[in-house]
Amino acid sequence: MADVTMGARSMAPARSIPVWSWLASKNRGYYLAGYAILAVLGFWTIFPFYWQVATSLRSDVDLYTPVVSLIPTSLTLEHYGKVFSPNSQLPTQLRNSMLVATGAAVVSVILGSLAGYALTRLSFFGRAGIARILVFAYLAPGTILFIPLYVMMSNLGLRDTLLGVTLAHLTFSVPFATWMLMGYFKTIPIELEEAAMMDGASRPTILWRIVLPLAAPAVVVVAVFAFTLSWNEFLYALVLLQSRDKMTAPIGLTAYAVGDVTYWGQMMAAATIMSIPPLLLYLFGQRWVIAGWTAGAVKS
Amino acid sequence: MSVGEALVGRASVATAPRRHAFGRDWFLGYAFILPVLVVIVGLIAYPLSYSIWLSLQDVKVGGVGRFIGFDNYYKLLFDTNARIHGDFLNSVKVTLLYVCGAIVGKFLVGMVSALILNAHIRARHFWRTLLFLPWSIPAIVGAYSWKFIYNDINGVANTALTNAGLIDRPILFLASPDLAIWSVLVAAIWQGTPFWTMTFLAGLQSIPTEMYEAAGIDGATTAQSYWFITLPNLSSVILVTTMLSTIWTTNAIQFIYILTNGGPGGATETFPMLAVSQGMRAYDLGIASAVPLLFFPFFALMIYFLTRRMLRAEA
Repeated sequence: MADVTMGARSMAPARSIPVWSWLASKNRGYYLAGYAILAVLGFWTIFPFYWQVATSLRSDVDLYTPVVSLIPTSLTLEHYGKVFSPNSQLPTQLRNSMLVATGAAVVSVILGSLAGYALTRLSFFGRAGIARILVFAYLAPGTILFIPLYVMMSNLGLRDTLLGVTLAHLTFSVPFATWMLMGYFKTIPIELEEAAMMDGASRPTILWRIVLPLAAPAVVVVAVFAFTLSWNEFLYALVLLQSRDKMTAPIGLTAYAVGDVTYWGQMMAAATIMSIPPLLLYLFGQRWVIAGWTAGAVKS
Repeated sequence: MSVGEALVGRASVATAPRRHAFGRDWFLGYAFILPVLVVIVGLIAYPLSYSIWLSLQDVKVGGVGRFIGFDNYYKLLFDTNARIHGDFLNSVKVTLLYVCGAIVGKFLVGMVSALILNAHIRARHFWRTLLFLPWSIPAIVGAYSWKFIYNDINGVANTALTNAGLIDRPILFLASPDLAIWSVLVAAIWQGTPFWTMTFLAGLQSIPTEMYEAAGIDGATTAQSYWFITLPNLSSVILVTTMLSTIWTTNAIQFIYILTNGGPGGATETFPMLAVSQGMRAYDLGIASAVPLLFFPFFALMIYFLTRRMLRAEA
């Protein structure tokens, strides 16, 4: 996550290409065109999300009329009441998602920290090869793995269990966490460890007293990322989970469409609720989120 | 890294004269790597080889497999009598159309967004936060929002067009064979663009300002600056983003699964959707394993290239 801090710094200041301002000085029309395009882009971006929240707040009567007003005329929380009523599965499914995502995140950062440290700081035979396999695994698509994982989990009796889904999520969250933490360990000055080694500190002491406190913030950030990846995951959960009380929240959403009837109000209420955790992460951790995701792609 | 390594290397020579055949820190190194290796071998490498083994069998869900060699592959690729052959060719066509459409769309919208966000605009932070939003909510939620927008009875797209007097009857955005894939693409582009905007924006910010100043002094027009400075400087970002996005777009099934479920009549059935329907509805695990494996070489090539690049960038 060296790149995280670096990327964040390069994104933060209001530096910009002078071409634009230079154009603007010549012709204000460019400015206006720019803002017009921006307005269109903004509308296109926000509308589906706005519509989702607005739908969740409308009454059913309001929802099924042919005349749809863009701004809800009467706001109601009835759909939220329904998705949180005692016979609704949503609370259970949110809890399932929470358990799976927390499990995947915790395991990933523990395994990822150990491997990330070893791959960046220790010297042993086969290191480069393992690093390569890790990146390969990080990018390998899940569509190849879902059938064999389905059969494996069935044979192990883990189909339709939260443990099975958590294990399936490790296939992407462990390589992801390791890769991110490798980047971060490279930014910790190695001199600190060398100094401690000169003073006679053992490896475990160095790890516990020096590396871990320094890595803690990165570990937290990576854990939160891994949590969101697992929270949003669809394919593995879809093929592995069948019982409604075992489903994670994204799969539970499909149950609001029964045959030809879709309970849009309740579905959008549930959708809004499950968007909150990743949305909060994004709004408060934006610079890390962005820098982390672009790290691999941008560096040359 | 290399400097640090050299330092450690020298220190180790001084303090530990006896070097081990597996490297200086072999014991701790292997101990730390072991848990991740267990995950990679047990949950990735083993399933991958198991998938190859399944693809060589005639095996149904819950049944016992029978080894049939390359029959599944033969059926998919060459057997004109098998229904699955037609389905497979169709999925190749649909996948190509879907990926190309998505890449072109995301590239264009992402590039325009990044150029504007990189310019002198007011409330830049606000606009950036806004334009990245679709990427921060679960894809499944976005898929359902779009499904409701496209709905023929009370969907807002049809209602708005009707109220504006542009159409008499609702447009079947998701149920008409010609339109379905484009409707899905619009939604997929909406969700996938932010990643492109992010990488393009970061790429634009790494281009030295002096280049534009120099070009301006030499009398270059905006179009010339863009063509001769911006694009060449972004070329590697564009290449890597295209590859990553190709891998992710092809393999994310949420939008197709929710919006059209591969229909109508296979018009949106990309190869992952074909694999899902073969495995989860037709219960044919052999065919369902063979379908993604036939596409795997293309991904493996891209991943190989990306792996090399990412590791080189890291060093």
